Amino acid sequence: MTKLTVVELKLLTREPGAIFSLLIPLFILVVFGSSIEPGDTVLLPMALAIAVGLVGLYMLPTTMATYRERGILRRLSTTPVRPGNLLVVQLILQLVLALTACGLLLAVGGTVLGAHLPTRVLSGVLTFLLGTAAMFAVGLLIAALAPNGRAANGIGVLLYFPMAYLAGLMQPTDQMPDILARIGEYTPLGAFRQSMQDVWAGGAPSPLLLGVMAAYAVVISIAAARFFRWE
Amino acid sequence: MAVIEVTDLRKRYADLTVLDGVSFSVEEGEIFGILGPNGTGKTTTVECVEGLRRPDGGSIKVLGLDPVKDGRKLREQIGVQLQHTQLPENIKVWEALDLYASFYAKPRNWRELLEEWGLADKRNARFGKLSGGQKQRLFIALALVGNPRVAFLDELTAGLDPQARRTTWELIKRVRASGVTVVLVSHFMDEVEELCDRVAVFDRGTIVAIDTPAGLVDGIDAEHQMRFTLMAGDMVELGGLPGVTGVTRTGSRVVVTGRGDFATAVTAELARHHVLVSDLRIDKRTLDDAFVALTGRSFDATH
Ligand SMILES: Nc1ncnc2c1ncn2[C@@H]1O[C@H](COP(=O)(O)OP(=O)(O)O)[C@@H](O)[C@H]1O
Ligand SMILES: [Mg+2]
Repeated sequence: MTKLTVVELKLLTREPGAIFSLLIPLFILVVFGSSIEPGDTVLLPMALAIAVGLVGLYMLPTTMATYRERGILRRLSTTPVRPGNLLVVQLILQLVLALTACGLLLAVGGTVLGAHLPTRVLSGVLTFLLGTAAMFAVGLLIAALAPNGRAANGIGVLLYFPMAYLAGLMQPTDQMPDILARIGEYTPLGAFRQSMQDVWAGGAPSPLLLGVMAAYAVVISIAAARFFRWE
Repeated sequence: MAVIEVTDLRKRYADLTVLDGVSFSVEEGEIFGILGPNGTGKTTTVECVEGLRRPDGGSIKVLGLDPVKDGRKLREQIGVQLQHTQLPENIKVWEALDLYASFYAKPRNWRELLEEWGLADKRNARFGKLSGGQKQRLFIALALVGNPRVAFLDELTAGLDPQARRTTWELIKRVRASGVTVVLVSHFMDEVEELCDRVAVFDRGTIVAIDTPAGLVDGIDAEHQMRFTLMAGDMVELGGLPGVTGVTRTGSRVVVTGRGDFATAVTAELARHHVLVSDLRIDKRTLDDAFVALTGRSFDATH
């Protein structure tokens, strides 16, 4: 299990997509960060949502669907090691990737750009975990349904833009049509961004939105598990 | 001792019957061939034996274990090369071997395998950059890294050039010499003829014969021909010899058609009458002929 984790980690660092998931949100943060007021509470939650969205919708499903497509899960099931171990290792590493991306954003945003960092650390961590769980569940469902890695990649990219728009990542929510902004708040990524923003503003995240993210995480994971095929 | 015992194996997918009562056993230390045209259920059979697919009926014992119930214990003792698998593009050769070795309780030293399978200078190459032959050698090395008692190799030379196939064959013989029982799935006659101690011939989900390659060829009674050119001496009457079914002569060229071992009788008769011939050729009967005789169909037409 240790060796499997080490090798998978090496493979992840050789994956250009992983580097992009780290750099794209950072790039956006830096570009828009040059014009923010000191103590800004909006940009960092957006950047975090972009990072978690990229990992959940793009990296996770593409990697897993590719592993199935290449028969790597099948090959593993001929050894004493269960292929489920590989999925667990992948989930952990993708979580580490999302954490790294967010850590990088917080570090750069909080120091160089002078953006606000929240004091409610526990609420922030809880929101991060629930939001990441919801996005990873969506990623797992894509991996379960996509016939191959290329398709998973395509679906991920296709889903990313509407989800990012509804979450208010392309346009501030107050400039969006009211109805879309309302709906968007209850999408996995929207609930994540809104809750993060609440934390940044110094308040507690709405229990309703936390519940919404938890519900997405559970329901979509169950669907993913139902549709998942090893081959 | 039988290492693998398969009795009345059955498998269907929806309304397609893929295996219809397949039985065979594999002895310790042999290379056992599973031969047949594409789509006849060879892969399905071995994957049931490996425990990757669940049969609908029949019984399987591998090393005394049930592949479904004792899967974990069995997988410690078998090595598998699957027909359609790849590794991650970016994994290095040594990393793959090191990783797969870590899956087993008593693995082989993968550095030795690297040498044995001619991959030492590709040690740090990524999987995606290997040639077809190198990938195939890596797959076989991975199948052996757990120090298995039985190795399953499915279409191991598909897509290789003739030179690479020959090299692979020599290496497979070495695997047998090291005491590993090998189950070799192939749709290539020449490969099976070259490597296998015994062969099960598959046709449309059943086994039509199990024998040594030579036994299969001898077992068929197909007509074949011998040809020669008369050098000196007068032609003798050959038509009455045992097995001979026809003699034609065009100038000094003679073609004798017959069944069984008629060629020995013909050469003896020629020698007895001091007839000198040159350019003597006896058409070799092959597994192809055996397949046609067994199934009434040609092997290649079913591809
Ligand atoms: N998972 C599956 N679902 C449906 N049909 C299958 C499946 N696997 C194999 N088959 C069918 O079973 C038949 C035998 O396949 P296979 O065992 O791969 O043959 P071979 O290895 O001899 O080429 C083929 O007709 C194939 O299409
Ligand atoms: Mg096959």
